[in-house]
Amino acid sequence: MEPVVTFREVTREYRTAGGAVLRALRGVSGEVPAGRIVAVTGRSGSGKSTLLHLAAGIDAPTSGEVVLLGRPLAALPDRERTRLRRDHVGLVFQFFHLLPHLSVEDNVLVPALVAGDPLREAAVRARALLERVGLEERAGDAVQKLSGGEMQRVALCRALLRRPRLLLADEPTGNLDEESGERVMDLLLGLARDEGSAVLFVTHSRELAARADEAWTLHSGLREP
Amino acid sequence: MRRYLVRAIAKELRASRALFILAVAGVALGVGSVLSIQILNRSALGAFAGSVRALSGEADLSVLGWAGFLDERLLDEVLSVRGVAAAIPLWRAEAAVDGRTDASLELVGADLLQAAVRAPWRLPEGGLGDALTRRGWVAVTPALAAEMGWRVGDRIPVSLGSRRATLVVGALVDLQRIAPLASRRLAVMDIAQAQALLGERGRIHQLDVRAAEGVSLAELRARLEARLGGRARVLTPEQRTAEAEGLLAAFRLNLTALSLVSLLVGGFLVYASVRASLARRREELGVLRAVGATRAQVLRLVLAEAALLGAAGTAAGIPLGWLAARANVAAVSGTIRNLYLLEGIEAVTLGPGLVLLAVATGVAGAVAGALGPAIDASREDPRALLASITLEERVRARSGRTLAAGLAALAAAAAAHVALRGRWAPSAFVLALGVLVAVPLAAPAAIRLLARAGRPHRLGVAYGVRTLGARLGSSAVAAGALAVAVAMLAGVTVMVGSFRGSVERWLDATLRADVYVSTPSWRRARSDATLAPEVIARLRQAPGLVGLDLLRQVQVQAAGRRISLSGLDGALPGGERRVELLAGDPAAAMAALRGGAALVSEPLARKAGLAPGSRLAVRGPGGETALPVAGVYRDYGTEGGAALVDLSTFARLFGPGAPSNAALYLAPGADAEAEVLRLRAALRDHAVQIRSNRTLRGEVLALFEQTFAVTRLLQAMGLVIAAAGVTLSLLVLARERRGELALYRALGATRPQLFAVFLGRGLGIGLVGLALGAAGGAGLARVLVDVVNPAFFGWSIALHPPWGALGGQALAILAAAAAASLYPALTASRTPAAELSRDAL
Repeated sequence: MEPVVTFREVTREYRTAGGAVLRALRGVSGEVPAGRIVAVTGRSGSGKSTLLHLAAGIDAPTSGEVVLLGRPLAALPDRERTRLRRDHVGLVFQFFHLLPHLSVEDNVLVPALVAGDPLREAAVRARALLERVGLEERAGDAVQKLSGGEMQRVALCRALLRRPRLLLADEPTGNLDEESGERVMDLLLGLARDEGSAVLFVTHSRELAARADEAWTLHSGLREP
Repeated sequence: MRRYLVRAIAKELRASRALFILAVAGVALGVGSVLSIQILNRSALGAFAGSVRALSGEADLSVLGWAGFLDERLLDEVLSVRGVAAAIPLWRAEAAVDGRTDASLELVGADLLQAAVRAPWRLPEGGLGDALTRRGWVAVTPALAAEMGWRVGDRIPVSLGSRRATLVVGALVDLQRIAPLASRRLAVMDIAQAQALLGERGRIHQLDVRAAEGVSLAELRARLEARLGGRARVLTPEQRTAEAEGLLAAFRLNLTALSLVSLLVGGFLVYASVRASLARRREELGVLRAVGATRAQVLRLVLAEAALLGAAGTAAGIPLGWLAARANVAAVSGTIRNLYLLEGIEAVTLGPGLVLLAVATGVAGAVAGALGPAIDASREDPRALLASITLEERVRARSGRTLAAGLAALAAAAAAHVALRGRWAPSAFVLALGVLVAVPLAAPAAIRLLARAGRPHRLGVAYGVRTLGARLGSSAVAAGALAVAVAMLAGVTVMVGSFRGSVERWLDATLRADVYVSTPSWRRARSDATLAPEVIARLRQAPGLVGLDLLRQVQVQAAGRRISLSGLDGALPGGERRVELLAGDPAAAMAALRGGAALVSEPLARKAGLAPGSRLAVRGPGGETALPVAGVYRDYGTEGGAALVDLSTFARLFGPGAPSNAALYLAPGADAEAEVLRLRAALRDHAVQIRSNRTLRGEVLALFEQTFAVTRLLQAMGLVIAAAGVTLSLLVLARERRGELALYRALGATRPQLFAVFLGRGLGIGLVGLALGAAGGAGLARVLVDVVNPAFFGWSIALHPPWGALGGQALAILAAAAAASLYPALTASRTPAAELSRDAL
């Protein structure tokens, strides 16, 4: 089966204001097959989030190659890369990043707005997702009224709205208490499996990593064997 | 803290150059508007005072005729008064320079023997003999000689009324050295020659009196007035200048008020800029407070930065104001000369007083604009300041309270106006200010209303419009500033359009004759610019003539002010159609006119409290005469006031004399333009201006347009500031919402989509600004048309909104808002999705 995303000898370097070179990733390789759930663990600064950004095409490697759905991202112009992300990648962030001026349902619908999908059908899908995460009653509420766990559930619905082939989650429980984190993770993994999406998620938690099909550990930018 | 301030400002400048430049531009344009008007105002007054000083020098008092002229026999009487050391008679009239359109000489006939000793100016060595003996000898200013290309010895053909004479440039006398703002058109000649060549024997216009040493001026003035027994008035130079100031008061106040609106709009920019800067620097301020900075220190830090911004704006605004003033000298000068009959502006000067005013306006305006956000920031505790701002930050929903405050301000202004109406004329401006305050305060509510519009289907323009309310603070300030500028634009456009419509209707109603005859010098010389008897005789021979209307005119003191009094033929068949009465029967009014009554113009009636049945006190050479008022007529010719009497009444008041204007009524079907050409050919030896009805009408409307030239400039400056406000606010939005933009990018939004979102936000601001501005403009127009014009100028105007012009302006405003969004939209569209990783939300 063709992998959804492939990393080939990926290195990412940043230059500091003082001119020093920081290596966030060093020759990382690996692939995430369709429908598979991969956890990325490691200490702070080990390059976990950088790996996710490279997978989403919102950052580019200094050397090496990232291939998303068979298309090398470096060879694509920004517009194509953006469309690929829009149509096939869902993103979940540690800090939720919901838009405060929109209601719960409208936040879920943002990817449909971005893509120009028919809104009526998208709204039906949004309602169904909200029902799955237990927030159907809160669809019209302002997002500021939600708890952290509820916000992340909304963010999860947003990420899954357009049935992405790849779900990228950057410490999705990092800003939640244990109970809320558990619930969010249950939903994330359950929904992804139901939808057939591959998942690449970053976590500090060994317990959460253990729930994945596969776990990658990064250490100072290197993937441990 | 001072050192910190310097570093903080340097850092802020580096971090947000575009915002700083826009805020500085806003202050600069505001200061430029105010300064240009003040320069023009002061230069206009300076021109009058300068001419007084250059001619009358150290004269302590001036004796002036009630109707502008004096019998020269009064000289002996004045000299006989105890305490008079000397009295210098002056003959003054503005003569047209033939063959040079709009060129004229402000001729002063003086007793050159006395002037050689007492006047502040000097003739060249040995020039006195020539001046007294050489026919037509005249001294002109070097500035005028250079402008006209005259040299000593050149002959200048001039005219006063229909009478022509040839003057000879005898000397160049720099009167502007004595008073720099004095008219360069001043020209001095021997009084006897002036009277013989262009005037009347025995008629002078002014007697300058020098008091003997140690004599009390007040007592001398009282003695002179007693001796003259009401036949003339006695004024100090200061009183004369104050009189000119009074004549221009309404004109100056209107321009000043308009220029202040630009400053108000500039203040919005400062507010928006400081607010954005503080939002960005919350953490910095939190750290400062946490390490021990007091609230006062934080307040001072923010205000000092604003003051610096104001100083930078002022530095740019001063040259801008100077240039704007220079660009408008001709238009303002023309208005002052033609409508107020005062000296035109010779030079614009920027004295230290005006520079100080500009600095105070710019710095105080900037500090006032920053005060609100600065106080807010200083009140917050360190914990609140240090809390990171995330997307979860609550949107402040104070729009309802703000709207209520605006409505309360409007109600308070209306109440103040009602309470002060009739007692304090500027109460009309309080009402206008109420409208201008209420309009921007309604912006947050209007934006929230816009957010309720239908759900957009794509991330694009409509989404940008709908989500404008997400950062009410920034978008409402921009929309509010734009609304103020639009309100001013729309209000003044409706007022000018209504005024123009009213003037056109008035011209249609009253400009009934086919051909009008006057002289090149008539507009300013009035009673001195008469038509010679042979001209009148030729006019009477015009083929197809069915009626000849002759008019005499004089500037006279009546009802305690200087008015224009005209004598016309009350018995002219159909003559009642020459005036449009506000009320009453025109034929009956004409009959009363023939019986010795007067008709008063609407401005005079309002200002002097006259109505049919009351009496108009006219001061003529023979003393005061009270004429019964038979009616009030519509008049837009002079805001100072005018009155009409029958020619017989005029002769009774001012003695016999020639008319200054004539109007020819031709038989139906006669070709007026052909008659104009025939008369011009027949009267080519006389200095006359002969125009058809159509031409005169065109000239009146051109004069009207000239009067509003400065107004248009001020409107444009206000709009430019508002457009800068849109750019500034969208840049602030692009910066504040960088996290949101990065999120859209992360979710797959393309750059063109983000560009469209910001274009939508610009258009949304434009729409709200336009809608509120239109509402405010409608209110402002009503205030200007129904309250300000009657209160200040005395005339009533019918509302004639120029829909075509207003529609064009609306499109231009939306286009300007869209254009102002381009750069911020481009900046926003470049936000990388990777920004999201920085947790900048």
